[in-house]
Amino acid sequence: MSLKDLLSPFFVWQRAFEKPWTNMRPIEERPGAPAYRGFHINLADSCIGCGSCHSICQNEAIDMVPVEEFSGRPGDSGLRPRFDYGRCCWCALCVDICTANSLHMSNEYTWLARDPTDYHFTAGVEEKPWQDSELGYHRAEGYHLYPPKRIDMDMLTADESVQSFDEVVNGYSEEQAKLEADRCVECGICVATCPAHMDVPDYIRSIRDGDFETGLQLMYRTNPFPATCGRICTHRCEEVCPVGITGQPIAIRWLKRFIVDQVDSIDYARILDSEIIENGHKVAVIGAGPGGLSAAYYLRKKGYSVTVYESQETGGGMLRYGVPSYRLPDDALDKDIDYIISVGVDIRYNTIIGKDVMFEDLLGEYDAIFLSTGLSVPSSMRINGEDHPRVLSGLQVLADVARGKDPGIGRKVAVIGGGNVAMDAARVSRRLGADVDILYRRRISEMPADPEEIKESQEEKCNLVEKAIPVEIMDTGSKKQVTIKWGEAEMVQDPKGGRPRPVLQEDRMHTETYDCIISAIGQGSNLDFITPAVQEQLAIEWGKFTPGEYQRSELEKIFVGGDVANRTADAISAIEDGHHAARGIDRFLKPGAYAEN
Amino acid sequence: MNTVDEILDYAIEQEQQAADFYAELALRAEKAGMKQVLLDFADEEMSHKKRLLAVKNGKHELTPEEEVLDLKISDYLVEVDATDDISYQDALIIAMKRERAAYELYTDMAANIPDSHLKEVITGLAKEEAKHKLFFESEYDDRVLMDN
Ligand SMILES: Cc1cc2nc3c(=O)[nH]c(=O)nc-3n(C[C@H](O)[C@H](O)[C@H](O)COP(=O)(O)OP(=O)(O)OC[C@H]3O[C@@H](n4cnc5c(N)ncnc54)[C@H](O)[C@@H]3O)c2cc1C
Ligand code: SF4
Ligand code: SF4
Ligand code: SF4
Repeated sequence: MSLKDLLSPFFVWQRAFEKPWTNMRPIEERPGAPAYRGFHINLADSCIGCGSCHSICQNEAIDMVPVEEFSGRPGDSGLRPRFDYGRCCWCALCVDICTANSLHMSNEYTWLARDPTDYHFTAGVEEKPWQDSELGYHRAEGYHLYPPKRIDMDMLTADESVQSFDEVVNGYSEEQAKLEADRCVECGICVATCPAHMDVPDYIRSIRDGDFETGLQLMYRTNPFPATCGRICTHRCEEVCPVGITGQPIAIRWLKRFIVDQVDSIDYARILDSEIIENGHKVAVIGAGPGGLSAAYYLRKKGYSVTVYESQETGGGMLRYGVPSYRLPDDALDKDIDYIISVGVDIRYNTIIGKDVMFEDLLGEYDAIFLSTGLSVPSSMRINGEDHPRVLSGLQVLADVARGKDPGIGRKVAVIGGGNVAMDAARVSRRLGADVDILYRRRISEMPADPEEIKESQEEKCNLVEKAIPVEIMDTGSKKQVTIKWGEAEMVQDPKGGRPRPVLQEDRMHTETYDCIISAIGQGSNLDFITPAVQEQLAIEWGKFTPGEYQRSELEKIFVGGDVANRTADAISAIEDGHHAARGIDRFLKPGAYAEN
Repeated sequence: MNTVDEILDYAIEQEQQAADFYAELALRAEKAGMKQVLLDFADEEMSHKKRLLAVKNGKHELTPEEEVLDLKISDYLVEVDATDDISYQDALIIAMKRERAAYELYTDMAANIPDSHLKEVITGLAKEEAKHKLFFESEYDDRVLMDN
């Protein structure tokens, strides 16, 4: 052993008193590469809590947690992703799938915390130093894990569609439907927005699985009008579908229709029927529109004996006599109604309550009444000359056409109004061979009609004249024509807020002669069949009921729903009102069954 | 009517008459929910009366210079009758037309007298009536002309 070897331990000890060469923290911050997949940033305000990040994460590193400030926002689950950095491997799949494009990553990658639970955090909700970092991984523009565009629907061209009353939309093939169903990220955001809370992600999954019978069963749980809604639903679900944020929303409505179209009505009973155990209670329903028939169906399923009173010769209400067949063919509506009748719902057609059968008799005879009589009285313009025989009501024209009668509109028509009835009346007139001007007192952007209907009516060459206020109807001396005087409007901001109001410009008047004028400016209810003594006990505002819980009126036996009791006035809301009332009536008549709730 | 007090008394009386008119119609009204609507109209007229009483007592000033939006809805509508089965639409038409008539009355009156405090008060009353007309016309625009 050399002397050096002997002394070396003492030299090592000497080093113990020197400044150390190693540092407790990295010597200097080394920023991550600009597109580094570092810590997550979520723009929590743009995130809609769809949970796609949670579903795709292979490491189960994301939980969805409720965040108070986002609860109750429309089209938002109120949940936000909470990351577990003990599990995350920074693969960025969550960023790539994020439907709202709210999630990305910073290029930060160092983080020291003493408490291990700190590494669980709700990005964008809990403050983090990297929250405002602009660098880091962002999904490249135009890059999507699922196809952002919806599968095109095969439709008649506008030129073809005005030739007949044939259905404009042809429906998806199985291959198309499966491709479209594949785009759904199964977030369920649509379920909350659908008034009937249909189980959309699951019935869409049934398309992917090719199991349409399960799809049909799922739909009937909350909606006994799937063939109808698959065609004409106002599809508010699609407005919130997050796939639509960076692309086009899933064609939920067309997929619903696809399922119904796959199942033959002969098979409905086998797929849908369940044992009905009679409970001895009797319920009367007034009105065989979607509201009344939905209530009737769910009541019948619960064992009630249900009688529906309907003034018309067949069922469907406005779906039959309002919505034209090129949007909703009779056989589709019949498919829904026939199945409702098949479970034992008794419909008495051609029976007007208040005339053929008195309301007070129903009150005495039945254990409960559901009333869904809709809005059937066309509003009048109340301008001079309106009682001219060439002024027709939109509802009447549509009802005539639905019954196969010629409404006698002539070749040149003006439609007054900007709602769905006006659009349908105009498009029907085009199919009857007329040239059509639609006069609307506000701007096109303010039209209450469905944007799709406005677009299609324009494609079918209806001439939309906006800011046109009718002021007088004049006789032409000919029985076959009529003249309208209308003035231009200027839109003026209402000092009290709300939508701008049209103000007539009296120096800019026009006159035009037509073969007829179709007035479609709105419709109201007719509740005259309810005896005054009963009416006084019911809360009715502007011709509409204001129901309480479970669609119940102030009188415990009477439940109300549909257009005459809601603000949305569409089929799906009426259907949900009917279903809701059925549950309410069941609670009312079988209180024992709900005692524990 | 030559003095400010006289014209204010007249206007106050008119509001009272309008309130009585709606209250009486409410008693007769047959259609569902119409009683309440007409009673609400009567309340609205009573609130107009209260405002004018406050003007008379010097607690509130009229604003003759204020611009009031004129939607001109009632100007082109037909006259309707106050029948027992009156509808919402017709009740609103009656209300709009009454306010319009009052507005025109005060506007004409003001046009025929020389500049004075009286003229200012009458113009102020006209503006009040224009506001009432706007109130009912806005209601008509929102509730009756929904699809139009
Ligand atoms: C032209 C038009 C187009 C439309 N387009 C769409 C659309 O694309 N999508 C959509 O979702 N909705 C649409 N709607 C609205 C939809 O039709 C209604 O929201 C829906 O039909 C309302 O259902 P309901 O059960 O409340 O009333 P209704 O469908 O109006 O049914 C009420 C029933 O009660 C009966 N009735 C009334 N009074 C009595 C009485 N005293 N005795 C016996 N029976 C009585 C009537 O005859 C009628 O059959 C449209 C409506 C119209 C008019
Ligand atoms: S980066 Fe990958 S592992 Fe981490 S949370 Fe996102 S998906 Fe899960
Ligand atoms: S995928 Fe995007 S929008 Fe959906 S919850 Fe996750 S972060 Fe939010
Ligand atoms: S249809 Fe849209 S909103 Fe509904 S579950 Fe699928 S992706 Fe979500």
